[in-house]
Amino acid sequence: MEHTFIEILRRALDEELTRDAAVHLLGEDVAAGGAFGVTKGLAQKHGEKRVRNTPISEAAITGLATGAALCGLKPVLEIMFIDFATLAMDCLVNQTAKYRYMSGGQLAVPMVVRTQAGAAGGAAAQHSQSLESWFIHVPGLVVVAPSSPAEAYGLLKSSIRFGEPVLFIEHKRLYTMKEALVEDAELPPIGKARLVRPGDDVTVIVYSAMVRDALMAAESLARDGISVEVIDLRTLVPLDMESIAASVTKTHRVVIAHEAVRNGGVGAEIAARIGTELFDELDAPVSRVGCDFAPIPFAPELERALLPGTGDIVRAVRELLGLAPARE
Amino acid sequence: MSLVVQEIPKVGLVMEAVRVTRWLKNIGDSVSQGEPLVEVETEKSVVEIEATAAGRLTEILVQVGQEASVGDPIARIETGKTEPAAAEAPKSRTAEPARRSHLKAAVLESRASERIPSSPVARRLAAEHGLDLAGVTGSGPRGRVQLDDVKRALGSQAGSGPSAAASATPTLAPMRRALARAMTLSNATVPQFFVERAVEWTALHQVRKAFDAQSAQAPRLSVNDFLLQAVARVLIEFPALNATFSGEPDSPGARLVPASGAHIGLVVAVENGLLVPVIHDVEQLGLVELARRRTECVERALHGRLKREELDGATFSISNLGARGPDRFTAIINPPQSAILAVGRQRDCVVPRDKSIEVRPLSQLTLTVDHRVADGRLASEFLARLVEILEGREWRVD
Repeated sequence: MEHTFIEILRRALDEELTRDAAVHLLGEDVAAGGAFGVTKGLAQKHGEKRVRNTPISEAAITGLATGAALCGLKPVLEIMFIDFATLAMDCLVNQTAKYRYMSGGQLAVPMVVRTQAGAAGGAAAQHSQSLESWFIHVPGLVVVAPSSPAEAYGLLKSSIRFGEPVLFIEHKRLYTMKEALVEDAELPPIGKARLVRPGDDVTVIVYSAMVRDALMAAESLARDGISVEVIDLRTLVPLDMESIAASVTKTHRVVIAHEAVRNGGVGAEIAARIGTELFDELDAPVSRVGCDFAPIPFAPELERALLPGTGDIVRAVRELLGLAPARE
Repeated sequence: MSLVVQEIPKVGLVMEAVRVTRWLKNIGDSVSQGEPLVEVETEKSVVEIEATAAGRLTEILVQVGQEASVGDPIARIETGKTEPAAAEAPKSRTAEPARRSHLKAAVLESRASERIPSSPVARRLAAEHGLDLAGVTGSGPRGRVQLDDVKRALGSQAGSGPSAAASATPTLAPMRRALARAMTLSNATVPQFFVERAVEWTALHQVRKAFDAQSAQAPRLSVNDFLLQAVARVLIEFPALNATFSGEPDSPGARLVPASGAHIGLVVAVENGLLVPVIHDVEQLGLVELARRRTECVERALHGRLKREELDGATFSISNLGARGPDRFTAIINPPQSAILAVGRQRDCVVPRDKSIEVRPLSQLTLTVDHRVADGRLASEFLARLVEILEGREWRVD
């Protein structure tokens, strides 16, 4: 049976609440189901003490969650939009991420910050951003970005059990995506990428919603006889260079695609590491697909025009191979 | 500001190719003149190449694993000084001590050669197969040579004409190539003759046994240590043979260059080839010290870690194929040396003694001599004296 991303997140949270009494949900309106309905019904089942509404103050509630985690709970905090993480940044960067280090390992902050990112349906410049690269710059934070409902189920559970601060970034465009869950499957480890589609000619490195675009691009390129390998990073920190290396050593060509702007993006970091660590394997410069350096427009037509997607990946792959752009 | 090109210096006698094994500096690092810059594997050993100029390393032209030839540019160093013209460079070069004469530096006014646009993996594959990228047509953007282009070039090379089988098989490793070149040079340009004599080991074995009995800690002496000492003594006694031939035989500049001591090479079989580490000033060394140095340099030879001064300067080599060797054999001179002694295996032989016969341990010694350096009479006397020393009891132990 297939479930939407939202339903599967709810199930994962429900199961973790049941499994471990230390798990608590915090966030604006979470007791009422949250802005996207992920936590619907959980307050009724597990009590409002464990599924708690909070005031609208990201700074305060991130501090609350961090303190709870320091005291032994395993809070799952919802920051409604990643765009609002700016308000939580001081606590996340200067407190949450630092306790383990500054206490010489005596303190742990086993908390998950669930947040939702990306552009879909005209949410405009303040509710559509992909800001993950801000967080990969901070030692002490783990950054997870699932690419499908089934992936989100396993990765959310792994994140809750991981024992370190995890930023769990859900893409709003994936919320309605449906997928069947393999029951009793092993939970995916944090820090391990997933080979989604094997191929020989070009490696496409993606995460979050872009994985779906990459798979569609690979399908379309396969019709022209081009074999694309798709790697879903799953976690951006820690980065699974081993999987990347294995793939690049095979294909010798790389496209990194993300929805975030290219400037200072995750792709820049990965491209640099490939350039340094795998230089002798490269047959072409590492190519990056990402958003142009502009805010996300409100008008749906402009949003569509700006966002990178399947077509951009196809173009990048063909360009790497020295082929003319496909007719669209 | 000026750019100095760092080139591969000639570090061995017949060295032509090296392979970069490790860069000791990164791009952007500052280097001082004479500071080790890069580690390269020559045909015979791993050596460090020193920077010819002080400044900042701005470009590495030969990557780890790639090959380069003597004189090839391998890096660019940007010197801090503002030099008005390239003409200033020779001045500072003449001020250089002579020992650096093997390190060449040239100031660039423009880039010396056009760089062929190529992808890293294409360059690597081409280097692995000794393929010159200049002859490969690049199909990538702006004519970049890519992996497929190199594969195609290698494929067509393998498939064209009578050389098909040859290019399909791997090319020679640098050491084998060096060996092939040295032996071809020797056989083609050095007129060689052979003299032969048997040597009896009875006395030597007694000396050796006595030594082993009284000094338990000292290194065990091998026959090679005795051979080295004996040859050294004879070389000093026969300076006419302790020399190397220099120049073309038909040119008025041809001469014999005498050696300043007894520097003797010892042929060591290593995996897929042989090396000839040289022990210097053997005439000054006792057997104990000789044994120590021999063990050391054989060990380093087996691990490809000989220093370049350990490969140069000999006039004479000893090749001893040991107990499993042939009864007798002739060796080919290792240029520019002028003689080589081939030692056959030791075996019990019947020898006449005082009107009867006895069984004694004997080896056949075959001396190969460069006829440009010495003649039959000198060679015979040399060998006779060598046998006399080897059969005697006068050894310098310490």
